[in-house]
Amino acid sequence: MSHSGTGPVVSFDDVSKHYGSLKAVDGLSLDLHPGETVALLGPNGAGKSTSLDMLLALRKPTSGKIRMFGSDPAHAVKSGRVGAMLQSGGLMPEVTVRELVTLVTDLHPRPVPVATTLRRAGIESVADQRVDRLSGGQTQRVRFSLAIVGECDLIVLDEPTTAMDVETRQLFWNSMKAEVAQGRTLLFATHYLEEADHAADRILVINRGRLLADGTPAEIKARAGAKRLAFRLDKVDEPFLLGLPGLVSLDVRGDVVQMQSSDSDATLYALLDAGYRPREIEIGSLGLEQAFLAITAEDDRANGHELVKETT
Amino acid sequence: MGGTLALAKIEIMRLRRNRRYMMLTLALPVVLYLLVAKQVQHVTAYGVPYKAYYMVAMASLGAFAGALTSNAQRISQERKDGWIRQLRLTPIPPQSYVVAKIIASLATSIPSILLVLLLGRFYGDVQLAGWKWVVIGVAVWAGTLIFAALAVAIGYRYMPDTVQPMTMFVYLIMTFLGGVWFALGGTLQKIGEALPTYQIIRVGTDVIFNGTVSVTSIVVIAAWLVGFIVLAWLSVRATAETV
Repeated sequence: MSHSGTGPVVSFDDVSKHYGSLKAVDGLSLDLHPGETVALLGPNGAGKSTSLDMLLALRKPTSGKIRMFGSDPAHAVKSGRVGAMLQSGGLMPEVTVRELVTLVTDLHPRPVPVATTLRRAGIESVADQRVDRLSGGQTQRVRFSLAIVGECDLIVLDEPTTAMDVETRQLFWNSMKAEVAQGRTLLFATHYLEEADHAADRILVINRGRLLADGTPAEIKARAGAKRLAFRLDKVDEPFLLGLPGLVSLDVRGDVVQMQSSDSDATLYALLDAGYRPREIEIGSLGLEQAFLAITAEDDRANGHELVKETT
Repeated sequence: MGGTLALAKIEIMRLRRNRRYMMLTLALPVVLYLLVAKQVQHVTAYGVPYKAYYMVAMASLGAFAGALTSNAQRISQERKDGWIRQLRLTPIPPQSYVVAKIIASLATSIPSILLVLLLGRFYGDVQLAGWKWVVIGVAVWAGTLIFAALAVAIGYRYMPDTVQPMTMFVYLIMTFLGGVWFALGGTLQKIGEALPTYQIIRVGTDVIFNGTVSVTSIVVIAAWLVGFIVLAWLSVRATAETV
């Protein structure tokens, strides 16, 4: 049932997808290994959905090569080894949940009993309701059920918990963990950082189509290298602060200054050398959210974009 | 193929549950035939009694309406909603969706054609040799295929808001100029002769009249069929990355 080979479940080799001059995915290379739970983390428009679409053979890469279980993606989809839930995937209307799940189960070469799927997805109670009359969260769970109608080796989920309330989200991840416990590989795209932190054992950070970081949640936080620096300053000279070495982001509220720095020592020394005497200095490491912002902000800046000022 | 048939089966079930579809394909032609067929006495159309012409016309009306209007709308909506994308993640081949839709159209048009032909025989008292019934049934049924292909071409390429008026327009032009609502004469009929609707009805009435089918009819019907299948294929291909 689970992937028995030793090769990667998924591999992207220098994959790009261009729409005219827009590089939605730009030279992406990565490998996923059997049994991993991997989060594809990035802001909206980072290229997450395009990458997953290409992985699932819905779109063709402009260049580069994608392999799934050592063969081309279309073949892997056809053999039923991957179950997927897309952000843009829809449901057939005018039928009941049970009829729909039964149909998709019938199409699968290695089907799971319909009753099992309904239970795993937590949709037994709505099984005889019409698909087009469900709430947003219920619809999301029906879409999820279609990803697990067969004994697949890889599950791909694109922003699975959008439109779910907190409670449903919790239930969802519990059932997801049960799937993973059976040896399946899970790849999910999200822009919820706590979700990636909580559910994944590996995080891939992507921004503007490129892979920026790859590691465990702890490694990503460290990889950001950034520290959070906060202090009070009587006369704030913003242009000067923006020129400090190592600065990643800056937030000034009255006399309270908060910044992220890739080299907190250098940032602080430069501030002191310039004659400033900040008070109540705090230096701490970043949470995943700030680390993520630091990584993407650094990337944006390296590419000539304006330094992002935090608006939070 | 098993997967495609499973899909076709559920598509047929959906159509049968849809009241609007049943009204358009079954109730409307039946009611019209009951109301009109015997009111027009001593009048012929294309050389046959009006009730015989009207039987062929009403069989076509229901079959074409079902294949074109509801199919195009559904395909467009299901493409917009992402159901076609979702289906492409299942192990069935990508063309299964279209094939299942066409099978469902062909299957659901059978009862509406049969019902009107039965009415013609037992209510309109149209008496024909067995093989003539078969030719009429098959000609109308082939027409379903033409409109199912057109529905795919339109549904894949346009958004639901556009599809609704577009199919209505095509349907009205095709049925009116094709002499489906009532037989036309003069210039309008001349224009209508280029349409598959007219020629399909003409196959029926010619068979009833003298047991022959004109080459013109066959050529026109075949040309539209091939044309719409090519259009459908182009639409599906053009949208392969955006469904």
